[in-house]
Amino acid sequence: MVSEQTKNIESIANQATEKPGRGKMDMVFFAMVMLLLTVGLVMLFSASYAFAYYNYGDSYKFILRQAEFAVVGVVAMVLISFVDYHWLAKFHIPWLLYIASVGMLGLVLAMPPMQEGFNYKRWIYFGGFSFQPSEVAKFAVILLFAYLISKNYKKMKSFLYGIIFFMGLLAVVCGLLVLEPHLSATILVFAIGVILMVVGGIKLSHLGLVSLAGVGVLATVVITGVVNYAGDRIKYWLDPWADATGDGYQTIQSLYAIGSGGLWGRGLGNSRQKYLWVPEPHNDFIFSIVCEELGLIGALCIVIGFALLVWRGVSIAMRAPDRFGSLLTMGIIFQIGLQAALNILVVTNTIPNTGISLPFFSYGGTSLLMLLCQMGVILSVSRSSTVRKR
Amino acid sequence: MICILLGLVILGFGASGVSLVNLMLIHGSKYAKLAANQQLSTTTLEAKRGTIYDCDGNVLATSATVWTVYIAPQDIENEEEARLIADGLAEILDLDAQAVFEKTQKNTSYEKVKKRVEEETAAKVRAFISENKLGSIVGLDEANKRYYPNGSLASTVLGFVGDDNQGLGGIEYQYDTLLNGVPGKVVSSKNARGSDMPFNYETMVEAMQGSALTLTLNSYVQYCTEKHLEDAIELNAATNRGCAIVMNVNTGAILAMATKPDFDPNEPFTVTDPYTLSLLEQFKDQQNESTGDSSESDDADDAQTPYEKAYQQAMNEQWRNKAISDVYDPGSVFKTVTGSSAIEEGVVTEQSSFYCPGYIVIAGTRYKCHKAGGHGQQNLVNIFENSCNPAFIEIGQRLGVQKFYQYFKAYGLTEKTGVDLPGEAASIYYTADRMGPVELASESFGQTFQITPMQMITAVCAVCNGGYLVRPHLLKQVTDAAGNITQTEETSIVRQVISQETSKQMCTYLRSVVENGSGKNAYVAGYRMAGKTGTSQKISSVSEGERMKYIASFCGFAPADSPEYAVIVMIDEPHGANIYGSAVAAPVASAIMKDVLPYLGVEAVYTDEEFANINTTVPAVEGKSVSEAEAAVTEAGLSCRVIGDGENVVAQNPMGGSTSPTNGTIVLYTTEDYEPEKVTVPDLTNLGVSGVVSTAAAAGINVDISGVVSGSSGAVSYTQDVPAETQVDRGTVVKVSFRYSDSVE
Repeated sequence: MVSEQTKNIESIANQATEKPGRGKMDMVFFAMVMLLLTVGLVMLFSASYAFAYYNYGDSYKFILRQAEFAVVGVVAMVLISFVDYHWLAKFHIPWLLYIASVGMLGLVLAMPPMQEGFNYKRWIYFGGFSFQPSEVAKFAVILLFAYLISKNYKKMKSFLYGIIFFMGLLAVVCGLLVLEPHLSATILVFAIGVILMVVGGIKLSHLGLVSLAGVGVLATVVITGVVNYAGDRIKYWLDPWADATGDGYQTIQSLYAIGSGGLWGRGLGNSRQKYLWVPEPHNDFIFSIVCEELGLIGALCIVIGFALLVWRGVSIAMRAPDRFGSLLTMGIIFQIGLQAALNILVVTNTIPNTGISLPFFSYGGTSLLMLLCQMGVILSVSRSSTVRKR
Repeated sequence: MICILLGLVILGFGASGVSLVNLMLIHGSKYAKLAANQQLSTTTLEAKRGTIYDCDGNVLATSATVWTVYIAPQDIENEEEARLIADGLAEILDLDAQAVFEKTQKNTSYEKVKKRVEEETAAKVRAFISENKLGSIVGLDEANKRYYPNGSLASTVLGFVGDDNQGLGGIEYQYDTLLNGVPGKVVSSKNARGSDMPFNYETMVEAMQGSALTLTLNSYVQYCTEKHLEDAIELNAATNRGCAIVMNVNTGAILAMATKPDFDPNEPFTVTDPYTLSLLEQFKDQQNESTGDSSESDDADDAQTPYEKAYQQAMNEQWRNKAISDVYDPGSVFKTVTGSSAIEEGVVTEQSSFYCPGYIVIAGTRYKCHKAGGHGQQNLVNIFENSCNPAFIEIGQRLGVQKFYQYFKAYGLTEKTGVDLPGEAASIYYTADRMGPVELASESFGQTFQITPMQMITAVCAVCNGGYLVRPHLLKQVTDAAGNITQTEETSIVRQVISQETSKQMCTYLRSVVENGSGKNAYVAGYRMAGKTGTSQKISSVSEGERMKYIASFCGFAPADSPEYAVIVMIDEPHGANIYGSAVAAPVASAIMKDVLPYLGVEAVYTDEEFANINTTVPAVEGKSVSEAEAAVTEAGLSCRVIGDGENVVAQNPMGGSTSPTNGTIVLYTTEDYEPEKVTVPDLTNLGVSGVVSTAAAAGINVDISGVVSGSSGAVSYTQDVPAETQVDRGTVVKVSFRYSDSVE
């Protein structure tokens, strides 16, 4: 059984290496990525320069670093697109990456907080370099699930394998994320995992149980160690003015910025709220500055941009040559879409603040690099699909 | 399955879109407003209030820079910092530290701590700010404070300003909008740390500086008017203030308008009059006695205490411009109106004769003449000179109600004069349909109706200026901040009331009143004063059993042959030995006109007799030889007394350039080590002219005589400017004022 599986995977891998020519990548998807990346960089510069100027005396501090990662990221994306994604299934990479992620998530808990006064631990840092293992963990879960499901998709109907086994894998990662605590990453990883399981063919009757379990996990999250953390967030979500100068401040300032935008916005560069009113306007709340400067029209264009990206991603997944490529693409693209939607819902205070960044827009080098690499993987899948069609 | 997932994605993005529409379109303005509240800070740029000048460009009121100290409570980090600010500012600005601390606890970005801080104190605040690095929390705004360099001069005309530089009375109120300008503002965007955003969000609306006003008021005339009015109020122990107006009869320009006692517009909320203050003190003592212990509990509630009410009333009283806001029975001064109307209507002529048996009976009411036994047979001039009531009652009856009322109206006595001041009172009178012969009789000599002094002098101006009723005014011109004249006040003639001929006739009669009749005390040598005295009984304001109260007044003009300036003096409730207008008010008018007419360039024309009595300028003879000096002194119509045996004059008294009466004696010292010869000033009051001259000569002093009509007798001296028993240098000039006490009206 095991050897048969190995053989199967190897045959998939061989299939890829055997094929010397690769098809064209999906230009629509590529264009969508480049468009969002460009708009994202421009908006990052606009949103960050006042903050950077007042705090670091250098208006270009954030944009230059982000631009460096963007260049590297785009090169990496294009290069990855030429590489057959089946390499990801070789050499136990899915398992190794998963185990490495779990290791790093454990390590993060052992490290002191990034800054004094932070009541959460999300970063691994050494020297001048820092990154969030949760970024890696997201991809690790996607890769491992795609790998396992595509390999054993017939067993997915089994409750033991399809539900318990996968939920176990998810629980380890989510558990560690909860301990950080990092609510948004927890939700994202959990959601992506469940989506892949559903797409991977678990029984729908089991879905109900999964949902129940999800509610259970959420309840645990709220009731156990992180009760105050999450509880407060809900409180200030319902009434940010309860502590207008404290915990509700960021939300209120975000609403002020969005409300100031109106239909057409103040114009690019003209946000007033970015002048230290919205705390860290280059991070999670960058979209509020986007709304203030570009107005409702601009904001909706960006929402539609993300939606189109997801649609194009799903279309690539449907055309993928095999289940592995399809699931991989599906996992990545839903992760992006989910993250974008959740971010906007947080910024508009439609859901409680979970600390979630906006893909292509929010500041964060490793995060952007990871994102673009994952886009590369999808483009790689798109190349294979076109080959197959030919 | 994919469809379900896509549905979820659409749901997610759809929800985002709905949220955005909701926030940005439906509730956008609400958040935008809140955002603007925190981002925009508006700084008001105060417009400098315009200066008020007199007609010669002397400053009457001006604004100087002061500072408003404010704090930005939002930016205060913690309580420790708040305490530091509260204590520091309270000490520098002399405020209650707790009150300042309460301001630091507000959640605002601008809180005024103290207004009108002078530069000296402002410098201390700046030092405090830099010492403690409070630049973003404590600040100073420029503002303006009003100064009146002449203190109380013309205070009831100028008015004063309140805390926000808003005009609260007089000219300051009347022309508030012009003076104020339009404050500007700077709207700038602030970042969350309170400093300006570095870009072009600053909107500035420049302040439009206030315009400067030039008034027709003349500081010197105003000063003389106030001085003589004040002296008269004291001399006659007047208890209900007095007022005076000097006005150009042809243009209506007011040169002086005084009410005494008044106030200092720099400190308008302080009662300054000693008499009023003593009344307030009395009141306070009475209050304390009558209320006793229970007053403690009364003090607790917010209502004013009776004393505070009384003080408030006293303040209102001192701000009141009596010349326009108080109405009075004009008394005999009004006979100018009755007489001129009758002449104009032809019901009396130069040849008319009147017989006064000492009374007249009209519709069963008997009116007594002030002269017991009556004036007997009189012509038209005589009845003015004698101020004979029965004669004017007869004239009034001849005019009849309709004609009388027609002129009453034509002289502007039923309407406000329209002078450019706030608070002009409306007159009280009988309309024609309600006036019977009895009312007509009393109105004919100026009783039973009430007008303002402003109305009276305006009517007298019409009597003497050829018959034209002019609108009195104080504004001469308006100059904007750039120096352009934006408004010039023109003479505004309301209507012609009487003919040129009647006016000319009236001028001669009224001149005769001053030279031969009841108005002798208003005489000014060389200036042909004309006018009419008045003594009115305050019938309506005296209660049963109380002694009658009077108002003494005089209204006149000069020169009678070509009238230029009119003056009215009204003194309310004099309590001296003689309360008649002729004794109380006419000398004030004389004193004012004597000072003012030469200054205003009215040419003096002296009769020979007058010339003998007028003052002459003492020649400067120091350094000259004795013989030269003697010649110069004699040529000036003076005599001299040489002391010492030197060849040259080393000193003289009076000094060269000063004035001395002709026939005075100049003392010339000829030795360097001269000792000025001391003489004692004798009592020069209650003497006739010859008595004063001989007493002064015997004592070795010179006298400057005023108030004597040349060629008339009966003048008695009543004041001297150097008190008796004072030691002075031989030759010193002492001013002695005379008045006629034989005339009773």
